[in-house]
Amino acid sequence: MSVQMVLALLLLLLMAVVGGRRGISSFLSLFFNFAVLYVLVLLLINGFPALFVTLLACLVVSYINLFYINGVNIKTKAAFIATIVTTFFLLLLIIVVHRFALIQGFGPEEVEEYTTLSFFVNVDFVQIGICTMITGTIAAITDTAISISSSLYEVHHRNPQLSDKELFRSGMTIGKDIIGTTTNTLYFSFIGAYLALFLWFRDLSYTFGEALNAKVFVSEVLSMFVIGIGVTAIIPLTAWVMARMLLKGK
Amino acid sequence: MKKGLLLRHKRILLSLLSALLGLLTLFTYHNYAWYEEPIAKIIAVEAVGTDETIGAGRESYPIYNQKLTAVLMNGESKGAQLVIENNYSDSLAYSQTYRSGDEVFLSLSESASGALTAKVSGIKRDKYVVLFGSLFLILLVAVAGKKGLLSLISIAGNILLFSIALDSYEIADNAQLLWISSAAVIGWTVLTLLLVSGRNRKTYAAILSTLIGTFLTLIIAYGVIAGTNGQGLRYEEMQFVTHYPRRIFLSSILIGSLGAVMDVAITMTAAIQELYEKDPAISAKALFQSGREIGKDIMGTMANVLLFAYVSGAIPTLVFYLENGSDVFHTFSMQLSLEITRALAGSIGIVLTVPLAMVTAVRLIPKKAGDPE
Repeated sequence: MSVQMVLALLLLLLMAVVGGRRGISSFLSLFFNFAVLYVLVLLLINGFPALFVTLLACLVVSYINLFYINGVNIKTKAAFIATIVTTFFLLLLIIVVHRFALIQGFGPEEVEEYTTLSFFVNVDFVQIGICTMITGTIAAITDTAISISSSLYEVHHRNPQLSDKELFRSGMTIGKDIIGTTTNTLYFSFIGAYLALFLWFRDLSYTFGEALNAKVFVSEVLSMFVIGIGVTAIIPLTAWVMARMLLKGK
Repeated sequence: MKKGLLLRHKRILLSLLSALLGLLTLFTYHNYAWYEEPIAKIIAVEAVGTDETIGAGRESYPIYNQKLTAVLMNGESKGAQLVIENNYSDSLAYSQTYRSGDEVFLSLSESASGALTAKVSGIKRDKYVVLFGSLFLILLVAVAGKKGLLSLISIAGNILLFSIALDSYEIADNAQLLWISSAAVIGWTVLTLLLVSGRNRKTYAAILSTLIGTFLTLIIAYGVIAGTNGQGLRYEEMQFVTHYPRRIFLSSILIGSLGAVMDVAITMTAAIQELYEKDPAISAKALFQSGREIGKDIMGTMANVLLFAYVSGAIPTLVFYLENGSDVFHTFSMQLSLEITRALAGSIGIVLTVPLAMVTAVRLIPKKAGDPE
């Protein structure tokens, strides 16, 4: 058996033991999301409009992460609205980033292994770069949104007399606690994934300036900043949407 | 009254930070003298016809030629104008179309007749890193205030720790990478958690469960890789690696899982602390029950965060191989083998940490800090 198979079985076992029925649906959600990414790549290479299919994929992924894992309720609905609005604004930001920083495609550090392949292909790598960045953010922003909306739900449940302003403030307080740990998760997964690149930069004695302008490094760092902006901006947005939805009809 | 004061402090803090980052951004827009390589700003672009080449899966593929007029921004001949030739293709996968205003690094060569010819060797991107980084930091402090500033300081400390770790890797033998990473993980955990949640029992519980969770994840990953002889791991597809791919890969699993495990540990211990404070008479059993519910809530979305963080980065490579006619199944299994393994190992870490953090927190927290043991 392959490493991935054994690890997947172990994960399924652990999720079932710790999480019961919902643990199993958490495990399945990983598969569904992977299937979405798979289909997305196939659509991209078959000439479908890249931005459109990526936004569609984001919609499906947030549907899975919110409604499939946690059920359809006021918490997931508020998180879904906040996710869609944030994704739309992030897309605009990402287009601006790509327009100026010119970070699409591959850097000279990456192309050594591609000697037998042709760069003259039928897709636009600027569009692919934009898709990559937006897909990288979607799970992190749904995660933040659901944390805020479900905590706010508990607050409202225990203190039904709170006004929408007070609820919003409470959401911001919770958000402050979450934001630090989320940025940490992203920071360390970034260091983990690019450990090899840092060692490589060091082995070839890149200067600080060379690294700071290299496409491989800059595209990753900018993508991390974009995710950071997304998870930060979605906090007040979710708190606002959730506060309004909780008090609707009162 | 106190609230107004706090708000004013936050405003002052925010304006100071914005001014500082604004100055830094301004500097990187004018730091030409900082570089030894010649930098030129493109002031005019002229399209000068197209050529044809053979593309992937098609007979003729257009190549566009550009003539760029640029001004040197640094060095001895600063201010001199020169003409640069450039060509690009529709895919832009490994070529670039330039617009007026773009700034590039050049490699200059002098021909026998003394004429200066220039080629673009890179693009000046440092200013965008600083600009968008500043945007993120200002937003972070605007939304999260003092806590945002603290996590900013903790990230700065973590970067410092990381560069110290890299330097010690240089001094030490390559074989010790995993040990150095382990030491760095311990340092990161203690530093981050102490900064974010202060010196108290909640923090100690989070530190303990983070460390146990992270190293348990490493041991499991190591065991599975050893037990299956690394079947299905395509180290040869690992980018930027010249030596010891397995060692680097294990270290990357260790470090990559750390953030997610820490996130779960903080969430769990904070929730149990909160439950205990609301009702100090709460039974251990009730604490375990609530903790488990919270664990169920977070583990699915957290695992998905890792999956997307690792796999989405591979999309350009996947598209590139498939466009070149590679087999779909083969391409996915080759290009994603390491990313999927990282995501799975990290997810195992997340799930393991739920009960770990619960037990540690229930045992450590219900004696308030300062209470006699």
